[in-house]
Amino acid sequence: MRKSSKKYLSKLFLLISIAVALSTYQILYAQVFTISGKVLDSKSNPIPGVNVILLNTNYGAATNDEGAYEILNLPSGNYTIEFSAIGFEKIRKENVVLENESFILDVILIESVVLTDEVLITAGKYEQKKSDLTVSTEIISGKEFTERNFSNLEDAVRFVPGVTMTEDQISIRGSNGYSRGTGSRALLAIDGLPFYTGDSGDIIWEMIPTLEIQKVEIIKGASSSLYGSSAIGGVINSLTRDISDKPLTIFNGFYGVYDKPYYNEWDWSGGMRPFNGLTLSHSQQIEKFGFNVSLTRLEESSYKQDDDFKKYIGFLKAVYNFTPTSSLTLLANTFNKRAGQFLYWKDSRNALVPPDQNLGDRIETNRYLFGLIYKSLLVDQVLMNIKTSYYRNYFKDNADIPNESTSNLYRGEVQLHSTITNYLVLTGGVEGTLSGVESSLFGNPDAFSLGAYLVGDINFSFPLIASIGVRYDYSKLDSLEGSGAVSPKLGLNYKLSKDFILRSSLGTGFRAPTTAEAFTSTATGGITVKPNPNIKSEYNLTFEFGVNYTPISFVNIDGAVFQNEYYDMIEPGIDPEDGLVFFSNLVRARIQGGEAGVILNLLPNELSLSFSYTYLWARDLETGTALRYRPRHIFYSGLDFRKWNFDFGINFRYTSRVEEIDDELVDLGIVVDGDLRVPVYTTDVNLGYNFITYGLPMNIYLNIKNIFNYNYVELIGNIRKIRNYSFGFNLAF
Amino acid sequence: MENIKYFKLQSAILLLILLALACDDHGIEPRPETPADKISGFRGKITFVNEWPDSIKRAFVVVFKDPLLDPTDFSIFNLKFLSREIPLESPVYEYSSLDSAFIPEVPGPFPPGSYAYVAVAQQSTPEISLARKDWFVSGIYYTSGDTTQPGKMVIPDSAFVEDINITVDFNNPPPQPPG
Repeated sequence: MRKSSKKYLSKLFLLISIAVALSTYQILYAQVFTISGKVLDSKSNPIPGVNVILLNTNYGAATNDEGAYEILNLPSGNYTIEFSAIGFEKIRKENVVLENESFILDVILIESVVLTDEVLITAGKYEQKKSDLTVSTEIISGKEFTERNFSNLEDAVRFVPGVTMTEDQISIRGSNGYSRGTGSRALLAIDGLPFYTGDSGDIIWEMIPTLEIQKVEIIKGASSSLYGSSAIGGVINSLTRDISDKPLTIFNGFYGVYDKPYYNEWDWSGGMRPFNGLTLSHSQQIEKFGFNVSLTRLEESSYKQDDDFKKYIGFLKAVYNFTPTSSLTLLANTFNKRAGQFLYWKDSRNALVPPDQNLGDRIETNRYLFGLIYKSLLVDQVLMNIKTSYYRNYFKDNADIPNESTSNLYRGEVQLHSTITNYLVLTGGVEGTLSGVESSLFGNPDAFSLGAYLVGDINFSFPLIASIGVRYDYSKLDSLEGSGAVSPKLGLNYKLSKDFILRSSLGTGFRAPTTAEAFTSTATGGITVKPNPNIKSEYNLTFEFGVNYTPISFVNIDGAVFQNEYYDMIEPGIDPEDGLVFFSNLVRARIQGGEAGVILNLLPNELSLSFSYTYLWARDLETGTALRYRPRHIFYSGLDFRKWNFDFGINFRYTSRVEEIDDELVDLGIVVDGDLRVPVYTTDVNLGYNFITYGLPMNIYLNIKNIFNYNYVELIGNIRKIRNYSFGFNLAF
Repeated sequence: MENIKYFKLQSAILLLILLALACDDHGIEPRPETPADKISGFRGKITFVNEWPDSIKRAFVVVFKDPLLDPTDFSIFNLKFLSREIPLESPVYEYSSLDSAFIPEVPGPFPPGSYAYVAVAQQSTPEISLARKDWFVSGIYYTSGDTTQPGKMVIPDSAFVEDINITVDFNNPPPQPPG
């Protein structure tokens, strides 16, 4: 009995063991799931190295080169998944329930713009953390260009705090008025290559293909100590996107119409005026060679008569990596435009048509930029950059005696960058430019300039960074006397805590006169403009003190006060000797003010609000009057909401009525009713949807700009864009 | 928690809408058209006494806003009307501010107000010039027969002033402005 009962118990134990083992097997192996998917950026490029973590568990994974991830062997349950990567905003997906099947979850990470130490700024000629900078800086993320249908860079910078535009002329903290394409007090660079014409020294915004932009950095305040002339008011550095590891083709397009004008008197065409654009872009890496290439076609009928255009933009960025530490980059950017030439309205009753005598005025433009950038790590911690570029600018109008101009600008720069120790980073270089002009407007002058600079950034053992730099420039413009300028700067960055950062900078800037300012010779409408062989460089002394404070995780506050003293400011005036208009060093000016901005991430990664206000006091100290085309108050605000696959934004812009304009053009009857101007209130709305979760790498966008159809001018006699609607898409494959 | 989320969302949208509604008008609007009988301006007659000297290359009617007390007052900023060229050898020339002119470039209502100096000015240079030294005043508008000082032309609102007449005696030119 005992034996048999023992046997029986053994059998029972065996049976129970088998049963338990089988049930455990079922639990362990039949009831497990997988979460997998892809992580892409806003342009549908895969993001490798993204951390994918199931919060409050030990499960997690990282994305591979194709942006794919897979988390295996997950028991059923309710999970919160967090996706994080450097340079992107963190995303959490809550309530992911694993019950009966595995889960596929594709997500899009948005590039970080603010509130992160990892944002890198290169406008200082090497990569620095934004929080380490000594000057105020703003960033426009590349995704905004497609989401908000900015087909032109100038449309995007209109919403940057402290920046205003008068038509195509940028003013950073009041640096510029409107000089009709005869020079700029801000320098535009593309991948660090300065981008201005050899004749007028002007910025040609429309030439840059916006789809190729990864981000735009805007440095406010004189940057002559690094960039020399033209950077007297600030720098806009446009960075093109990286070459994709995998073949990537993007097809981007939009179609839109301008609404009818608000007033019937202005309805010159009787219909809604269309505009459209198409871009085809391809990116590929083949072993050591990679390239981005794109072709853009833009066409607009325009809400104004004789303001229509057709533009073709070609872009190539080709990179050859000789070794992991040396590469050669070729940049090529071509631009062709055929357009009407709307200068100003006929009168306020005919605000969207030009004066009779200007009807049919047209212009054709061809521009080419070619750049070569060689980078090499010479020895440990010493990086060399050699940059050369050639910029050709040609335009011709259809006047009876056509105005025609060709300029060729050659530029070269050698730069060395070295991290001497953990505490000292040195950046120095020499550069030179050579330009030649053949023009019916400017004559045939030649010019050259040479510059040398050295900047040291010192990281102290306590949280202070000091940036000390100096640059010397010599410029010679044809028959004008050559002149030199020394531009020193001192900047300090002090972190009271990681959330409370003080910055301050003091420096000088200078701007050599452009060919157009020195040599323009033309007569129109009773006004004769004559050359000024005695014109000389203008200078400024600039000071800024700023604070950045993050009191709680979802609030960031930035404030700054600034003062700019301008000496020998170049402005158009009248020569009392002969009554002719000419550019001369007329004005001693002061521009001072303050700036405050708040970013509220009300619902992290879902809802953010931003506000910025700038007060500008810009005065001609000799006359006591305001400088022309400078508003006293600038206010921008924006709301951005992203949830599910939608994104929604509202952007509002206010600038006060400018006090001073080109009164003489009004008095002389050239711009009839030209005194009409108002404060600017514009509101734009954008709505987007992403199809990536349906396996389709496509975004669509709807934009309504100037939704309240508010009529305003930035430049006298030029009504800015009336209400318009556009639909766009971005397809990547 | 959800309620707080929606409160934040609603507050944000409401704030933006309020800001947007701040622009409760449509900004710049067309100025009303001036009825023909309300157009402000001036007209008159120039009478030339004696023969035109051969040296004169061109002559104009000029209107300055402020008195010409200094050479710099003879400036394009102070010059509010510059007629087209008066045909050489004309014995009489009738003009109007509604005629095509160099200044203003587009004819239309002339701004009401007081204008200190109305004259006929001539040039002998090969090309048109706005330099003071290239101008010679050959006749001045006087009021009430007072030839001791230039007459003031006053244009009331919505009124067209008549009889801004000037006599030009090439053999007896008026006092020249400074410069």
